[in-house]
Amino acid sequence: MKITFALLIIIFLAFSGYHLSFRNFRLPLFARQFYLSGTEFLFLGLLLGPQFFNLLDMETQKGLAPLCALLLGWIGLLTGFQFEVKKLRRFPAEYFLAAILEGCLTLASVFFALYFTLPIFMNISNPIRTVAAITLAAAAACTAQTSLVLMSPDSIGRRRDTVRLLRYLSSIDCLSALLIFGLAFIFHPLPISDGSWVEALGWGVLISLGASIGLLLLFTLFLSQRRPENELILIVIGMTVITSGMASALNFSPLLTNAFVGFWLVNLSRDKERIYQILLSIEKPIYLLLLVFLGFGLRIDSMYVIFLAAVYCLYRILGKFISGFLVTGMARELKTYPRKLGFGLLDQGGLPLAIFLDFQQAFPSDIAVFVTSLAILAVIYNEFLSPHFLRRLLTADSK
Amino acid sequence: MATKNTYTPKLITNFLILSLLAAFACWLKSLEIETGWQKAGLTTFSLGFVLLAAYVISKMLVIAKLPLISGYIFAGIIAGPYITGFLTEDMVHRLRLVDDLALSFIALTAGGTLHMQFLRKRGKAIVLNTTFLILVVFGLVFIAVILLANFSSLTPDLTKAQLMVFACLLGVISVARSPSSAIAIISECRASGVFTATVMGVTVVMDVLLIILFTLALAVSNIILTAGSAIDYQTFMVLSLAVAGSLLLGVFSGKCISFYIKKIGHDLPLFLLFVSFGVFKTSLWLNHFMEAHFATSLHLEPLLICMSAGFTVQNFSKTGPMFMESLDYVSLPIYVLFFSLAGASLNLDALRMTWPLAVSLVLVRITGIFVATWFAGILNRDPAEHNRTAWMAYITQAGVAIGLAQLAQRHFPEIGMYLTTVVLAVITVNQVVGPITFKMALNMVGETGKE
Repeated sequence: MKITFALLIIIFLAFSGYHLSFRNFRLPLFARQFYLSGTEFLFLGLLLGPQFFNLLDMETQKGLAPLCALLLGWIGLLTGFQFEVKKLRRFPAEYFLAAILEGCLTLASVFFALYFTLPIFMNISNPIRTVAAITLAAAAACTAQTSLVLMSPDSIGRRRDTVRLLRYLSSIDCLSALLIFGLAFIFHPLPISDGSWVEALGWGVLISLGASIGLLLLFTLFLSQRRPENELILIVIGMTVITSGMASALNFSPLLTNAFVGFWLVNLSRDKERIYQILLSIEKPIYLLLLVFLGFGLRIDSMYVIFLAAVYCLYRILGKFISGFLVTGMARELKTYPRKLGFGLLDQGGLPLAIFLDFQQAFPSDIAVFVTSLAILAVIYNEFLSPHFLRRLLTADSK
Repeated sequence: MATKNTYTPKLITNFLILSLLAAFACWLKSLEIETGWQKAGLTTFSLGFVLLAAYVISKMLVIAKLPLISGYIFAGIIAGPYITGFLTEDMVHRLRLVDDLALSFIALTAGGTLHMQFLRKRGKAIVLNTTFLILVVFGLVFIAVILLANFSSLTPDLTKAQLMVFACLLGVISVARSPSSAIAIISECRASGVFTATVMGVTVVMDVLLIILFTLALAVSNIILTAGSAIDYQTFMVLSLAVAGSLLLGVFSGKCISFYIKKIGHDLPLFLLFVSFGVFKTSLWLNHFMEAHFATSLHLEPLLICMSAGFTVQNFSKTGPMFMESLDYVSLPIYVLFFSLAGASLNLDALRMTWPLAVSLVLVRITGIFVATWFAGILNRDPAEHNRTAWMAYITQAGVAIGLAQLAQRHFPEIGMYLTTVVLAVITVNQVVGPITFKMALNMVGETGKE
């Protein structure tokens, strides 16, 4: 059995290497999507994990916790860097509001749907029920640009404005998702408060702000001198690890805390371009490692997982469709866009995966493993469905 | 005056950074940590703290012209369990995996810095230095331990046979060097030249020979301690197989790396990280597998595999420069992490308990190294400047020596505890003094900044 899987792993590695080296290779659409979305790395993680080879056993995974924190922090920083106020101002305010509203509406619809669906299929009670629903809903609200990027210029044609709006929405709608995901951590007792959830929320906000200001000050002190690139790499790595570590020690999300720091940095630091280039330089490997890490915990041992993943995917499509429909009717400037705009927002991308890893690390339990597994499957479904829906939207728009 | 003006604002900034880091650390330490998630968070924070604090401290020590790695080591000692206790022994243990990964990465660099043409040119010097270092250092330390045992409070309970074994093992362990420190200093000083190549060559060759010597010492010790036992030749066969297997596996890994660079070429640091991790885990797994299924302890050496892989990429492919560039790109965080953790794991308690014996042994070892390198230099007709300074390049000792002491402790528990304590104390001194003297030596022979 192990030999078979060893063979599988070699094939996966060889194909992944092939994919990395020959970007323009022609494969059927199904296989191309599989490779370009990095799904193979999920399976690589699954094979290396305790279920098969056990090369990365539980002890090793504990030892790799700092690396995991670095991954989450890195993605958080990258997310924070997307919100440079100067760049956001180049677009009309309606666009920004539309992006926030689209994210919030999807989040709310998926949250309520899942909150009542999850107990039907699994033995889940509060508070983990709320936490799981918030996590899944927050991930559902996020949109990536994978399909848009993969589209050929010919297929965009005259729909340039729609594509522009889709790109804008997909880079902003994660803001509300990430902030609301932070609320899930209210259910983790803060080490300095024993009171109600209102008090916990107050402390949480206060600590997050205080810690990010302190961390920003530290970052500023480091950047007050011009440093060579290798030293800047060390500083970025060190600060990311410190921020992530501090967040988890305080029972808070490393992803969100780093996103705060990233937001401040991009808007206040004069070295933002150099830091951004460092963050981008290993963005892809970071996402691949994230997939491998998620793959360790993947459990597809019941049909419920596959079915619930489909249900979650369906809720998300409906949520995106409804929010797109409402948003395009909101303001005069937005009324020129197709009402089925939500069909172009189905790609989920990397941030939801980081949210799932954050959730799995912060709330370790069988339920977390189950929820993460179904969510990962749903992300894969989305990766395959989104190009078809996007094509449909753009075809309808051109007519 | 100009220097003072340049350094003062930097010093103030660095001091402020350290203060802020310390304030964060104290605050987190004062919190109640309950869940595994929080514990992991504290360990992660500690890792980041050590990384940044070590970097800042090393920058501050540059004023005193100390090597950067001394700064990393000092930071580790200060943050470690014996001074501030910010990094507990448990945390250092938890970070062992990161430590091992870093060591594999450094070993790849060590192999990559060895150029065949240089080795050919300096072959005679390397052989002479290695031979003399082994013979003289082993001999002097062996004699010194036997003589000093009468005056040391640490060894009164040992029988004559046990004392012989103790001296024999300590002699072999004294021969050990630290390839990682050598690489870090050479890399920091951008050193290149005849002297640097000889030191690197001797350090790597010594690392291979040490495994053989240590196995031999274990076999001899077994004969001394167990009446009627004889040399087990099978052990030597297995050892030869392990060394050859490690070298071959390294060649294979090196070929895979150069193939990857040639055909793919991007995300190289990540790929090298994957190779390091793969080599480390595979060799551990294979060692367990051989012990479980064939009752044979075939110990493939991850360090040897990585060194051999780096050497293969550098000398048997055209991808050497790109390989070294990728390693260099991420080397700083790895060095900082590795040496600060090494500093944190230095045992100050052992040094406090055995300092008279430890300091005496350090001095004897340094004398041995001086005599050996001086004779080797005379025979090889090296420049007088090199002969006078070569001893300064071979003082540093680190993980390999500790590993050997622990292995010896498992084989001979009756003397193992004494051995580990003394070795830990000696290493603490050598690891602090060694990098400083090595940097001085490179400056004195004028090979810094030549790379």
